[in-house]
Amino acid sequence: MTNDSPVKAVSVTLVVALVCSIMVSTTHVLLEPVQQAYEQLDRNRHIVLAAGLAEPGDNLSDRAIVAGFTELQPVVVDLQAARSSDDMDSATFDQRAAAQDPELSVEIPREKDLAGLGRRSRFAPAYFYIRADRIERIVLPIHGKGMWSMIYGYLALGPDLNTITAVTFHEQGETPGVGDRFLDPAWRAQWNGKALYDESGTFRFGITAAQLDDVRERHEVDAITGATVTSDSLENLVRYWVGDHGFGPYLEYLRETNRQPDTAL
Amino acid sequence: MRSRDILFRPILDENPITLQILGICSALAITNSVLSALIMSLALTAVLVFSNTAVSLIRHHLPSSVRLIVQVTFVASAVIVVDEILRAYAPEVSRTLTVYVGLIVTNCIVLARAETFAMNNSVGRSILDALGNGLGYSIILVIVSVIRELFGTGSVLGIKVLPLATDGGWFQPPALMLLPASAFFIIAAIIWSIRSWNGSQIEETEFRPLDLYEEDR
Repeated sequence: MTNDSPVKAVSVTLVVALVCSIMVSTTHVLLEPVQQAYEQLDRNRHIVLAAGLAEPGDNLSDRAIVAGFTELQPVVVDLQAARSSDDMDSATFDQRAAAQDPELSVEIPREKDLAGLGRRSRFAPAYFYIRADRIERIVLPIHGKGMWSMIYGYLALGPDLNTITAVTFHEQGETPGVGDRFLDPAWRAQWNGKALYDESGTFRFGITAAQLDDVRERHEVDAITGATVTSDSLENLVRYWVGDHGFGPYLEYLRETNRQPDTAL
Repeated sequence: MRSRDILFRPILDENPITLQILGICSALAITNSVLSALIMSLALTAVLVFSNTAVSLIRHHLPSSVRLIVQVTFVASAVIVVDEILRAYAPEVSRTLTVYVGLIVTNCIVLARAETFAMNNSVGRSILDALGNGLGYSIILVIVSVIRELFGTGSVLGIKVLPLATDGGWFQPPALMLLPASAFFIIAAIIWSIRSWNGSQIEETEFRPLDLYEEDR
């Protein structure tokens, strides 16, 4: 067959496509478990950092991440029932997969969907750091729509379950160099010590450009210049996840049970 | 051409970046750290070797009407494989390189070597050519990244060389070095030095503005 015949052109292309697709799919299938293990480890690293078990600057070894993570007590929270659930295994529970599963997820009412999620899993993991039978830290997974991408992170609260002690983000696709400046450790450090609610129980946390005053001092952090949409999204996803459709009722329950994890968990 | 020439000529005499001015995009983008540059060089060389080998293997059975699409298929597949491997075994670096590994598909060096060399040469010679061009690309990337990381952050491969003013030293790093623009100047300087040393690389001026006042003189 000559090289110019259409049959040859089609068959060569088909064979090449077949060989290449086998090569690509084999690599993907073989390497996926390794990639997922890394992603899991990376998530755990952020949880350990958020819980304050390592300094942000530390170059954490894999071993240190695992060691830090075992000091935490993971639970799976039934968000609506505001209780931790025994039906789910925290080691295998996958919040993202659950959000896709009609059995395990609920639709978020439009007016409450501040994080732009559409649906969310009925369950969500939470991680307790407990010392002397007191909740020292609780780390909550938060996520929501930014300007371009879904932003995933962890929010850590102190013993009063109202004061932010740390925030980390481990997955995002915001504008490089502009929107993604929220990853900057110095910017995130502003969150530490800010209270979500004031004494009257009104949500006050904000990412704003307001003048420095009493409210701002206690509840707000600087918006990112040139990244208004990303800044607003971050504020809204926090508002959603600690609000009454998110972890709000569960946090309320933990506070009422006098922060005693034995009864709370 | 002897095989030694195939391997070594792309390093200086026929360097893909400084002579052919190909693959500039990644050379500007990822040369702010030596580690990224090294990984990027390895990734590009691996893709080059694969695509050159594959194209050379089937060069006698490649109808010219579909040759480009077949070459691109090989390149794209190799890039996906390399990207998957990086994400599994060098996840941090993969994260800093972001889209630039995927963009090897559009790196002109790869397609240029497949189209101009691998289509007309044996597998062995094509592999040598791929290694040579990979080496030529890598050397420029490493030189640029060493300069940028050293003067941008005071360290090379994360090892402190110049004591930073912020840590009580004397060195105040120019922030420009961390911006892609600095790679433009550095690559231009490299091209200029190579061409002043070897005049044969200087291109003829393709366009001369009309001298409107010629008659008046």
